[in-house]
Amino acid sequence: MDSVSSEGLSLITNVGLNHYLVLSTALFCLGLIGVLLRRNAIVMLMSIELMLNAVNISFIAFGKYNNNIDGQIMVFFVMTIAAAEAAVGLALAVSIFKRFKEVNIRFFEHLRG
Amino acid sequence: MTADAFLFWFLAITTIAGGITVVSVANPIYAALSLAFTMVSVAAVFVTLEAYFVAGVQLIVYAGAVMVLFVMVLMLFDLKHELEAFARGKVSGAIKLLTAGLLGGLLIGAIAYSPEGSKIAVGANQVAVAGDPTKNLGYRLFTQHIFAFEALGVLLLVIAVGAVALSRSKGGTHGQR
Repeated sequence: MDSVSSEGLSLITNVGLNHYLVLSTALFCLGLIGVLLRRNAIVMLMSIELMLNAVNISFIAFGKYNNNIDGQIMVFFVMTIAAAEAAVGLALAVSIFKRFKEVNIRFFEHLRG
Repeated sequence: MTADAFLFWFLAITTIAGGITVVSVANPIYAALSLAFTMVSVAAVFVTLEAYFVAGVQLIVYAGAVMVLFVMVLMLFDLKHELEAFARGKVSGAIKLLTAGLLGGLLIGAIAYSPEGSKIAVGANQVAVAGDPTKNLGYRLFTQHIFAFEALGVLLLVIAVGAVALSRSKGGTHGQR
């Protein structure tokens, strides 16, 4: 009993690589739920940003705990791509809104044909 | 409890809470607000990982530029009245939640059962991070990764032109009906 509680305490007090990876996983799954469950295209884009941020956390954590700076460089590239993706996605949303007066994904069936 | 551990748990709670709010709140303006909160929390997590320069870039690029983009588009459209914030269908919604939960459980299980410490073997291409990390970062970025850096510059130019062209178009490829 005592060893179990001290083990749990060390899990809380000794923050290591695994803690950051679990945080990253949780954030990634939240973003995944957002993309799957929401119907507003802009909120879906926001959820994609959440997922990209989760991946960035794991890159930086791996980079720190392996003493390698290339993780941070990869995070730069991910951030650039994410900004570009947000710009294009929002431009598409503007274009679609002008046409259909709505950015709900349910109405995108008009894109057919 | 040490200060490091307290900081990690505090930031983890704020990050996850912000993420839950982004996903669950119906009004997109509130979702954007909590996304900005999450971005700031993630920047603080970067600070605890001693990636100070990346934390600053995160604040400027995400919490600054990208959030301004999102909020401006939301304000432009006046999307306060949301017809259907969430997908219809209880069963499909449950399946989607279950899928995301399964993925998360799988990943967390893999992390928990990985060998203790889970240190990757020190490879031959490993550079010793000595001295100023920001200086080291710039050195690596402009020597070893210079091609990717320049390619990203070209990509950003293409994206800027493409975004302007897309948002100026009337929408639709078949002419005005």
